Amino acid sequence: MDTGAIFINLLAAEWMKISRRPMALLLLGIFLTLTMLQQTLWFLVVALQEGFFSGSGTTFGILSAAALEQVKRQLSLPGVFGAMLSAINGTGGILAIILTAGLFGSDFNWGTLRVLLTRAPSRGAYLLAKLTALQLALLVAMVITLIVGTLLSLFFSAILGLPQQADISAFLLLPLGMLRSLLVLVPYTLIAAASAIVGRSVIAGVGGGLIFLVFDVSAGSLNTISAVDPMIRVLVNLLLQPNIDRLIVDNSQMFGLDQSVLTGALDRNLLPSSWQAISVIVVYSVIFGYSAYRTLKRQDIGGAN
Amino acid sequence: MNVIETIELCKRYGERLVVDHLSLTVGSGEVFGFLGPNGAGKTTTIAMLLGLVKPTKGKAIVLGHDMQREPTLALRRVGAMIEAPAFYPYLSGADNLRVLALAGGIPVERVAQTLDIVDLRERARDKVATYSQGMKQRLAIAAALLPDPELIILDEPTNGLDPAGTVEIRNLIRSLAGSGRTILLCSHQLHEVEQLCQRVAIMKEGKLIAAGDVATLLRRGQGVRVRVQGDPASAVSLLHSLEWVAGVTVQGDTIIVDAPASRTAEINTLLIRANIVVTEIGASSTSLEEFFLSVTQAES
Repeated sequence: MDTGAIFINLLAAEWMKISRRPMALLLLGIFLTLTMLQQTLWFLVVALQEGFFSGSGTTFGILSAAALEQVKRQLSLPGVFGAMLSAINGTGGILAIILTAGLFGSDFNWGTLRVLLTRAPSRGAYLLAKLTALQLALLVAMVITLIVGTLLSLFFSAILGLPQQADISAFLLLPLGMLRSLLVLVPYTLIAAASAIVGRSVIAGVGGGLIFLVFDVSAGSLNTISAVDPMIRVLVNLLLQPNIDRLIVDNSQMFGLDQSVLTGALDRNLLPSSWQAISVIVVYSVIFGYSAYRTLKRQDIGGAN
Repeated sequence: MNVIETIELCKRYGERLVVDHLSLTVGSGEVFGFLGPNGAGKTTTIAMLLGLVKPTKGKAIVLGHDMQREPTLALRRVGAMIEAPAFYPYLSGADNLRVLALAGGIPVERVAQTLDIVDLRERARDKVATYSQGMKQRLAIAAALLPDPELIILDEPTNGLDPAGTVEIRNLIRSLAGSGRTILLCSHQLHEVEQLCQRVAIMKEGKLIAAGDVATLLRRGQGVRVRVQGDPASAVSLLHSLEWVAGVTVQGDTIIVDAPASRTAEINTLLIRANIVVTEIGASSTSLEEFFLSVTQAES
């Protein structure tokens, strides 16, 4: 059997495991619920501010006019695409870490890795197949989120009487937006995978992934302080978070949103260039991915723990 | 042809040498018992034979392939069940086997065939989380049989099974051995090993302390058991003087004579001629369990 066939077989096995795993469905359910709640909140904000419920013309000044306009765009086509992709890269990132840690760590916790490697001993192929199956699962989750989010936004915007400005080009740009969102998730899934492999458990994967995320987001937020020294800004821009923010901003802009109105951290002028963002994310992914591969390759595989 | 060969195989974890220069061979078609107390290094050795653990030194060769260099070529002809059964609890028994079949490039039809062999067809669609320990054990054996292997490695295959299940698995191992496959059997059920295996190796603290044909090893522990009236000292002295007696030991009121059992009558005659009253005499046989205990305890 050649390497390609071994990989395809392993990918089919990994897909079977991930697609039937209750944890994956639970995390998707949690994410969809959170996203729908977020959209409902936007709907309520617009409705309250515009006096939709009062009928007497009483309005609430919750947001500035620019921010309100932004929220309205997030509820209508094509802005909802950018808003959903931002949510995928926000809350979705945390859930992706948990899912990845669960997938890799449980093979150690249950002792199933040992059994699997007696059937398919190429550890590199195992790692690649599992990561590919994971990215496919994230892509499927992304499609489901976009469909659910779009339908809900159509419902809310119809109630609010918001105009839809979707043409075919917005739909044609969706694959690019999804790819960007997926790229943003890759380093997080890889750090969670590497941590789960090093610590041989789910908890190590979740811990490693979330600790990195918290550190990276905290340190990366230094970027939003305009008084920060330019040299420090260059260094901060080598962290993941500002580069991830850049791709999120690119995605939002592609669908007519300007999220800097709502979040100062997403000000394009403070963020690195798109090319730097892609390069830095790729470098981090390679480092994390190689660490995961090298550790797994050298590890003695024991039973359940 | 040797199906398994280890050459000076060592595994060190920190200061502890878990497997210490182990050299052994298992021939084609053999049912080989791999024994030792807990912590002897059996599972680590098996893990090295399966390419899961890297040897610190030495070589593990399976079906002619060095497990460090060509594990894939060997493992597609090997089925293994190591220690406790490990499965995805949220998948059914059949789906667990399907995952392994897919991963190993094994035709999926083998899933139903192996489930039939271990008599799990009726519960195949149930989630493994609902299985009893015995059912998980059977499923693990089914997983080992999935590639229709030439070499089957079974680590404690009857663990957790009820007596009927144990007999069933023992018969299954017998039928697998009958079909010409090589079986490496690790078990603490020494009665089971004695019944099934032609050769055994016994490990203790990482070292091979005994190996060979079961019948020969047990003959090593055979002798003549004698009880006499009064002080056994004169009987011991007489028996020591015989050139065909390799040794004499006294255990309580019994004299154990290290001599062929065929000499029992001769010993009896000699003792009577020396006016020693023999109250009991007979051949002493040793079970594998007794032999195992004698070698593993003698070394400590």
